Amino acid sequence: MSLSELLSTSFVQHAFYAVTAVALAAGAVGYFVVIRRQAFAAHAIGHVGFAGAAGAVWLGFSPIVGLLVFCLGAGLLIGVGGATLDESDAVVGVTLTAALGLGVLFISLYSGYANATYSILFGQILGVTWGDVGLVTLLSAAVLVVLSFVYRPLLFVSVDAQAAQARGLSPRAMSMLFMTLLAVTTVVAIQIVGVLLVFSLLVAPAAAAEVMTSRPLAALGLSMGLALFSAWVGLLLGVWVGGPVSFWITALAAVSYLVARLLGVAVTRQSHRSHA
Amino acid sequence: MSVLEMRGGGVVLGGRPIWRDADFRLEPGTITAVLGPNGSGKSTLLKVILGLLPLDAGSLRVFGEAPQRGSRAVGYMAQSRAADAMSAMTGRDYVGLGFDGPRFGWGRDRAKHDVVREALALTGSTSFADQALASLSGGQRQRIALAHATVFRPGLLLLDEPLAALDLAAQAEIVDLINLVCDTTGAAVVVVAHDLNPLASIVDQVLWIARHQVRSGSVDEVVNEKTLSDLYGHPIEIVITSHGRRVIVGLEEEFAHPHPHGHDHSHDHSHDHDDEVAHTHLDEVYEEETR
Repeated sequence: MSLSELLSTSFVQHAFYAVTAVALAAGAVGYFVVIRRQAFAAHAIGHVGFAGAAGAVWLGFSPIVGLLVFCLGAGLLIGVGGATLDESDAVVGVTLTAALGLGVLFISLYSGYANATYSILFGQILGVTWGDVGLVTLLSAAVLVVLSFVYRPLLFVSVDAQAAQARGLSPRAMSMLFMTLLAVTTVVAIQIVGVLLVFSLLVAPAAAAEVMTSRPLAALGLSMGLALFSAWVGLLLGVWVGGPVSFWITALAAVSYLVARLLGVAVTRQSHRSHA
Repeated sequence: MSVLEMRGGGVVLGGRPIWRDADFRLEPGTITAVLGPNGSGKSTLLKVILGLLPLDAGSLRVFGEAPQRGSRAVGYMAQSRAADAMSAMTGRDYVGLGFDGPRFGWGRDRAKHDVVREALALTGSTSFADQALASLSGGQRQRIALAHATVFRPGLLLLDEPLAALDLAAQAEIVDLINLVCDTTGAAVVVVAHDLNPLASIVDQVLWIARHQVRSGSVDEVVNEKTLSDLYGHPIEIVITSHGRRVIVGLEEEFAHPHPHGHDHSHDHSHDHDDEVAHTHLDEVYEEETR
């Protein structure tokens, strides 16, 4: 099959729309994950989602129900318990291990075919239906709308919680709100890239963007752009060259971060030299 | 009219009295230094003024009203702003957050650009306002932080340890800047500090908090051997060096002899803090003397 024929098949088109929606939401939310130094929380929520999905499968529900319940629950727990960014590590760690333990239990209880578990872990980009595309687009759009509405206060609380509190914002409420957005984004992204690789779209593009510019809005846009780039090119390489799409997306995201860091180092050296 | 008036104010946190019977006023265009041991309740005082903590006794009026959380008329500069989290933005962005950071929604305020520019100009930060905060020196970062706190030209400006972690040259620079901002805006400025000396030349009033008490008055009224000995409950000696610096001797007493003065044992928990405090000041005295 030629590339153009491949791209016109419905499963590739579904995948294209789905990764577009996921990448935009993950790139935007990821920017705040990175500046709030909450990569560990993002990582944990993905894995907690695995337990939820395994539990839902065991009970005979759709995995997405379990994903939503567990990810939102964990997000709120982490948001409440770790409102000040200093105390969050322990809360995240305990939440993560407790949920993983549950996941192990659910899998052992579930005697059926393990394919459902496998797709939760690694995503099923090329098995996305129109219904999935609709749901993913709706949730991603909701995340982006809410995020743009709270953008300034969230940025303020993230960089200077004390000053923001003095000006009437509640760091705890903002933390819970953000963890909710993160949880929804994670649920959406898990459908596409799986639990193990959610991280790649949430953290790597934003981390790369943060190195490349110190203007928040520019970094946010760049993060979304890099996530989109990784997702599109990853999908293209997956269907054209072969190999898991998740692998390509992850690899591209990681490479973009690496390139940004190397460029960043070069630029810093340059400016040091010109100052000297 | 006073900018702020505290009458018989007291705060209890978790069943532990922090300080009580605080009586003082803040007048426009004056600078007040808040001094005292770590854990004595200096930051608590700022929180009360900001409306983040209620008084348990007495009354507090800010601009004639009860303190209002989030008021634009009160500027606040927090003590430790994690530099790495702030690396994500330039000074101009951070000052901009002082203007519209608390506001939800999509609209843009056209006044923002000019207001931010003026705040940057007031604090002499214009030339480095477009660099990433992480790339600035400590003194430059404090200038930006001061611009952030003064963006609405507040009538009351609260600065929590603005000189901490600065070298001596940067300290002197920021002290001059605080004085300039006070003169220009006519704000009542409150500066929490752990050492009076760098501030002594610009301070109009001192609030000294120790052992749950607050003493207020001019530098000479508070920072003298009688008042401080009375406040700490044991003899304090003040040595004035040839450079006019005050070296306060005797704050380490508690550290060397934790219980010699018939402490009030109803506030037992305070011992830990007093010890820690004395330790800090011991270091400080040592530092002063070796300078």
